[in-house]
Amino acid sequence: MNRLGRLLMTSAVGALTTTTAFAQAMTDVGTPRSETLIVQTFDGRAANPSAQNPLNSYAIWRGFRELGWGYLWEMDTATGVSYPEMADGFPEVLNEENTQFRIKIREGITWSDGVEFTTDDIIFSLDTAFKYRDKLTNVASAVVYIKSYKKIDDYTFELETVNPSYDLTTRFGVYTWGTPFNWVPKHVFEPLGDEVVTFQNAPAVTLGPYKIKEFDPNGFWQLWELREDWQNSSWGNLGEPKPKYILYKDFGAEETRALAFVQNQYDVDTFMSPDSIDAAKARNPKVETFSATFPYHDMNDACSYGVYINQQRAPYDMPEVRWALALSLNLSQVGISAMSGQFKAAALPLPDTPITGPIFYDANLEALKNLTIGDGYKPFDTEFSTKLVETLAAQGIDQSLLPTGDAVNEGFGVGWWKHDPAEAEKLLASVGMKKGSDGFYTLPDGSPWMIEFVIPGDWNKVLQRLGFSIADSWRQAGFNVNARQVDNGEFTTVQNTNARNELAINWSNTCVYNANWLGNWNQFRESNIKPADSTDPLSGNYARITDPKVLALVDEGAALPLDDPKFVENGQNIALQIASEMQIINLMNIPTTIPTNSTYWTNFPKQDNFYAAPYTWWSSFKKAVVSIEPTGQ
Amino acid sequence: MGVLRYVAKRLGLYFAVLFIGLTITFMLPRLMPINPVDGYIGQLQSRANGTLTSDAIAELRANLEELYGLNGDLFTQYVSYMKRVVFSLDFGPSFTYYPQPVSAMILNALPWTLGLLLTATLIAWTLGNMVGLVAGYFHKKKAASVLEFLGILLYPIPYYILAVTVLLLLAYIFPIFPLSPTFPVGQMTPEKIGMIFYNSLLPGITLVLAGFGWNILSMKALAVATSEEPYVTYARLKGTSNWTRMTRYVFRNALLPQVTALALSLGMVFNGALLTEMIFSYPGIGLIMRTAATGGDYNVLYGAITLSIVAVATAGLVIDLIYPLLDPRIRTK
Repeated sequence: MNRLGRLLMTSAVGALTTTTAFAQAMTDVGTPRSETLIVQTFDGRAANPSAQNPLNSYAIWRGFRELGWGYLWEMDTATGVSYPEMADGFPEVLNEENTQFRIKIREGITWSDGVEFTTDDIIFSLDTAFKYRDKLTNVASAVVYIKSYKKIDDYTFELETVNPSYDLTTRFGVYTWGTPFNWVPKHVFEPLGDEVVTFQNAPAVTLGPYKIKEFDPNGFWQLWELREDWQNSSWGNLGEPKPKYILYKDFGAEETRALAFVQNQYDVDTFMSPDSIDAAKARNPKVETFSATFPYHDMNDACSYGVYINQQRAPYDMPEVRWALALSLNLSQVGISAMSGQFKAAALPLPDTPITGPIFYDANLEALKNLTIGDGYKPFDTEFSTKLVETLAAQGIDQSLLPTGDAVNEGFGVGWWKHDPAEAEKLLASVGMKKGSDGFYTLPDGSPWMIEFVIPGDWNKVLQRLGFSIADSWRQAGFNVNARQVDNGEFTTVQNTNARNELAINWSNTCVYNANWLGNWNQFRESNIKPADSTDPLSGNYARITDPKVLALVDEGAALPLDDPKFVENGQNIALQIASEMQIINLMNIPTTIPTNSTYWTNFPKQDNFYAAPYTWWSSFKKAVVSIEPTGQ
Repeated sequence: MGVLRYVAKRLGLYFAVLFIGLTITFMLPRLMPINPVDGYIGQLQSRANGTLTSDAIAELRANLEELYGLNGDLFTQYVSYMKRVVFSLDFGPSFTYYPQPVSAMILNALPWTLGLLLTATLIAWTLGNMVGLVAGYFHKKKAASVLEFLGILLYPIPYYILAVTVLLLLAYIFPIFPLSPTFPVGQMTPEKIGMIFYNSLLPGITLVLAGFGWNILSMKALAVATSEEPYVTYARLKGTSNWTRMTRYVFRNALLPQVTALALSLGMVFNGALLTEMIFSYPGIGLIMRTAATGGDYNVLYGAITLSIVAVATAGLVIDLIYPLLDPRIRTK
């Protein structure tokens, strides 16, 4: 390079460095970077950013349920315990049937435009929901649940539910990620009259300590600003929110996101593949995973991944067949090939978290160890995690990154089913199913058995990879499997339609967050069962649970108070019964990576600092917002 | 009279293409194994933690079908669809983002897609043709083969690889452009217009590079063939300059097929946006179509695809109508 070339290059690099340094001081939306928390949006870009009316479908993932809406009761996601947010305590039960309640709200809460939040807003929201129930698309959860309601005074109201409701605080508050029904400001909505059904409500008047400052009509970002009167907001009593601004932004495809993360352009991601995280960590020491040791991921999601079996169809109506599939599945190999070994096995049909573990897994551990199938075979493998750690070590994973002692089971689970294709073959032989000349199992009548296994396409890369690995494991064991990838839309249709579903990987009925198992397993009802070949959509019970024992336990449990020991016991028995009959081949907790960048903010929720679930798209993110600390950069 | 018959025939063909296109557009999403109502109910179930009863879902399903215009048999829906689309260009509300009208979603996205892709396509076409012309006209000279090499080098690179490479180079290693741009909102000011232009440069450069290669190669091939035509030889013997022969004899005659290609690629601008928008976080119609396809959002799909059909068919019509003006050989037929 000649002298002129060197001069030009030096000037260009100098200018770029200066520009970059300057750009890091302020965000693209004109706020000081040191006062702005920037998070990657969960769903990428919103196609409906101006839809902000919670009575209709709205741009839910832009921070509304975390920063905007207010709830009567919120959930502490570190412990699984509900606490009052806008309510002044828990509901007072007015009758023995547990259908009538008196609820008080805290005085002095104001909307983001300064108007006070009172029971008038609650009554108006419910009035509107009932009046336009056939025109509004997001009110069903309230109008089918509530029988009547009335205002007592500005801070007290009563309501009556259709059925006994021991879970009012989670049905009308938060169970995990937010509430299905949100309050709207009467003073904004009432003057609209009938136009309330098409009202976009942008920018929305909100209850939380943040108000919408600006949003991109193209759906890439939304900027929230801390209200000056944040103490009067719905969760102003939780503490002082630390960032003055919170920016939800889509940083694009994973490749771009990883690069932007390295450049400190944002602080918290959602899902990122282990490869991208490793690459980002190697280039920026401020990038951190949820756990410092294997598995790096957060495993505290409310749901778990499992293979859902259409048990109403032959040959899956035979427990021997379902067990044969489970015992033929080499989960250790699947988890290593699909997820680099970063998973937590879960044998019961729910995740094994610090909250659900003691309630469901500890209670059933002895029963799982003693469980027998077929001719007395014990299928549970308590050494699953220990062997997995040994395998990972043998594959060259640094020993210092692998857990030891009790941390092995905490990290990888208390056990899973044995990998025993020989036992699977015995079980299948007992119902007349043998391998044909092509090496694949046949149906009892000797005809070929082709299994259709539906998995997500690249819209869920973790499940896609997991699905293919499972299919491969089954093929090795002699099952002729066709792993069919489908789009998100078709996935829902397969899930909802008996005639379309045989085996599918799923998570929708394995979501239990705490002792209250009702939220999800309440779907295991007679009314949610359709004939095996039905083309009518299901309204729940996508796992196709038809076991009378499970149905009876759900029925009985639904009429019990949540804190009744019998209620909890029923939940434990439901979990064990589903596992014992292998009605769902539950696989693992949903691994969520949630990498963070501590350049501008620290004290994010981590494995060793678990004060809240680390998800920025759950309403419990507010706990992180008041707990993080600026680094001063 | 001949001209009138020609124009009438072309117009007839145009409307036939539109009719068939609209009909296929109506049918295709319905043949997809997706039910948008199921999808939406699934979302609601998830938000409601699965607590909606079967009665509630039945009620909700009936309401949604009514709101979305999915009631009645297929023929009834088809007639109503054609009426709305043909007479008022109304594609109804988005299923996924009810009650957002599809037309509003498309209108918001269209200027972005058009602004970037139209400009990039025109620049790539102009530059590619100029370079290709020089490479073709002087194809016996070594320097010209360098220009051809540029086309050969760029043309086969898959768009995705090219885009990621450009992004890595100009936004990460040399951070001249933002990796993930933020487009300013609100009232337009010269500064904001400048920001939009600056943020559009990187996807623009990539699109130009991607389209550039093909134009070089095709124009080069046409220029080589044309420069060997007898009338070019005759012009050379008459003593015309290289410049005159290249621009007035070769370029004008080699341009016709390129104009056709340009018209068709302009028509395809509407659905060519997807990858660009995904990689560069650029707003536009591509991402809307993708979301609609995966979510079974029929109305949005109708709207976006219809627009694309109209654009391609209109581009074809315009070409057919102006061709006789450009090429006397067609006029005499």
